[in-house]
Amino acid sequence: MDGGIAVLGQVAFWGLYSGCIYILLATGLNLIFGVMKVVNFAHGEFLMLGTYITFFFFVISGFNPYLLLFLSIPILIGAGIIVERLCFRPILGTGKLNEIFISLGLIYIFQNGVAMVFTDEWRSMKSPFADLTIGIGPIQLPLDYIIIVVITAIILVGLSVFLDRTTTGKAIRASSQNRRGAMLMGINVERMDMLTFGIGAGLAGAAGTLWAVSGQVFSPYMGSVPAIKGFAIIILGGLGSIPGAIIGGLAIGMVENFTAFFLGGSWKDAISFILLIVVLLVRPTGLFGEAGE
Amino acid sequence: MNLAQVRTPKNLLAAAILALALAVPFLAGQNLYLLTVLVLMLIFIIYSSAWNFLTFSGQGSLGHAAFLGLGGYAASLATVRLGLPPLLTLVLGGLFSAFIGILIGITCVRLREWFLAMVTFGFAVIIQTLVVSQLAPVTGGWDGFAVQKIVPTSVPGYLVLEYYVVLLIAVLVLVLFSFLLRSRIGLALAAIRENETEARAAGINPVPFKLFAFGLSAFVSGIAGGLEIFHFGYITPEIFGIDLSFWPIIYSITGGLGTLAGPVIGTIVVTLLWDGLNVLGLTYGRFIIIGVLLVLIIIFLPRGLVSLPEEIGKKRGRKGK
Repeated sequence: MDGGIAVLGQVAFWGLYSGCIYILLATGLNLIFGVMKVVNFAHGEFLMLGTYITFFFFVISGFNPYLLLFLSIPILIGAGIIVERLCFRPILGTGKLNEIFISLGLIYIFQNGVAMVFTDEWRSMKSPFADLTIGIGPIQLPLDYIIIVVITAIILVGLSVFLDRTTTGKAIRASSQNRRGAMLMGINVERMDMLTFGIGAGLAGAAGTLWAVSGQVFSPYMGSVPAIKGFAIIILGGLGSIPGAIIGGLAIGMVENFTAFFLGGSWKDAISFILLIVVLLVRPTGLFGEAGE
Repeated sequence: MNLAQVRTPKNLLAAAILALALAVPFLAGQNLYLLTVLVLMLIFIIYSSAWNFLTFSGQGSLGHAAFLGLGGYAASLATVRLGLPPLLTLVLGGLFSAFIGILIGITCVRLREWFLAMVTFGFAVIIQTLVVSQLAPVTGGWDGFAVQKIVPTSVPGYLVLEYYVVLLIAVLVLVLFSFLLRSRIGLALAAIRENETEARAAGINPVPFKLFAFGLSAFVSGIAGGLEIFHFGYITPEIFGIDLSFWPIIYSITGGLGTLAGPVIGTIVVTLLWDGLNVLGLTYGRFIIIGVLLVLIIIFLPRGLVSLPEEIGKKRGRKGK
C-alpha cells in the first residue's frame, strides 16, 4: 500500500496548497469583518485582480512572478482603500443586506472591467520553476507549491507581528474589539477602516499572485466562488479569529481535494457548501463563533 | 372601499400600465422580437417579485436561481416523462420548489441574514452539481433536454397567446402578494423584519411566518422557472447560474426594495436599459453600467426608483423654503 499512501500524501499536499489561497482570503475577510463588521462579497474580485496584475506584468516584464507580489499587494491595498472610501463608508451601518447588494454591483464592475481589457477567456501562466519537484519519501512535491506554502506562512507571520507589535496594528485591534472605546482613545477609526480594508484587499492580491503562479487557470469571472468559500471558512473558523481562519482554510482545502479525488472534480465547489450547511445546522453561530453580528 | 380610495394616483397608474400591457400585442402586431422581450420581462417580473417577497420577512437570498431551476426541472420532467400539460406541471414545479424551499428555510430560520445569503448561494451550487453529476441520467447533464412550449408553435399567433398567459400569471402573482401584504400576515412579516425580538415579545412566533415567506417565494420562483423553460422549449443547468440568482436582486433594488411596485419597475427599466445597451454593442460595458447604477442607487437612492418622485419633491420643497 506504499503507492496508496503516496497518493494520499500528494492529495493532502494539494489540500495544503489550496488551503493557503483560502487562508489568505479568509484572513483578509476576517480582519475587515472584525473592524468594520462589513460583509464584502466582492472580495474575490481582489483575488481576480491580483491574478491579472501578475499575469500582465509577467508577460510584459518577464520578472520572476514571485517578485510581482511586491506589485500586486500594494496595488490591491490602494484599490481596497478606494473601494472602502467610495462604496462601503457611505452605507456603513445600514444593514448587512445592503453591503451584500453593493458587493454585487462591485462584482459586475470589476469582472467586466477586466473582461473588457483582457477578454473573458480562461488563461494561465507558467512559473519558471514549473517542472521542478522535490521528493520527500515516495511523494513528489512541486517546488512551486512548497514556495507558496512558505510565502503564505511568511505573510501570516508578518501580519501577526504588525498587528501585535506596531501602534497602528494595535489601533486596528482596538477598533475591532470596541469601536466606540477606540474612538474615545483618540483612534481615527475611519482611517482604520480604510487601512484594514486595504490590508484585506492586499492579502487577496497576494493570494491572486500565488494562484496565477501555481499554474491554475483564471478568468475575469473566477472570483465569486472563492470569496464565498472564504466566508464559509470564517463562519466555520469563527468570526474575527485569525487562527480560526487558518484552521478553517486548511480544512476546506483538504476536504475539497480529497472530495475531488474520491467523488470527481465536479464536487469540488459543492462540498465546502455542504460542509457549511451541515455545520450551521448543528451550530447556527458557526463552529467557534459566539458574539458578533 | 369607496371610489376616492380606489382612485389613488398609484392605482390609476397601475391600471394604465395594465391596460397598456393588455394592448401591446395589438400595437406591436406580429413583431416577434418585441413580444419575446416582453414575455421574458414578465417572467422576470414574476421572479423578482418572488425574490422581493422574501425580503418582506427580513430574509435575503443569493441563490434564488436554485428555486427557479428546481421549478423548471420539475415542470419539464413532469411534462416530458409523464406527458402532463405544461399549465399543470407549472404548478407541480412550483410546489416542488416550495417543498425544497421550506426545507432550506427550516435549516435557515435560526441564522443571521448574511449566513442565510451564503447558505442559499451554496445551495444553488450544490443543486447544479447534483444535476450535472449524479442526476445526469435523468436530467441530461450539461446538455439538458428539449420540452414543448407552453402554447405549441403550430397554433397561429402562439406568441401572443403565450404573452397573455404569462401576463395573467404575473397579474395573479402581484394581486396575491398585494393581498397578503395588506393582511395580518403582511403586518406580522413587517414586525419580524423591523425587530424580531420585539415581534416575539408581541406574541408573534417568527418561525412559521418566515417559513411561509420562504415557501411562497420559492413556489412563485418555481413557476417563473417553469414559464421560462416552456418559453424557450429547452432546459439546461445554466438555469442555476449565479447570474440568474443576481438578476432579481438587481431588478428589485433598482426599482425599490420592499415595495410591490419596485421589482416591476426595476425589471422594466433594467431590461430596457440592458437591451438598449446591447443594441449599442456594449457587451461588457453594459454590465459595468448596471454595476455602477446599482452602487449609485444603493448609496444615493436606497429606496429605489419608486421613491424618486418623492425625493425630487423633497428637494424642491427644501429649495422653496
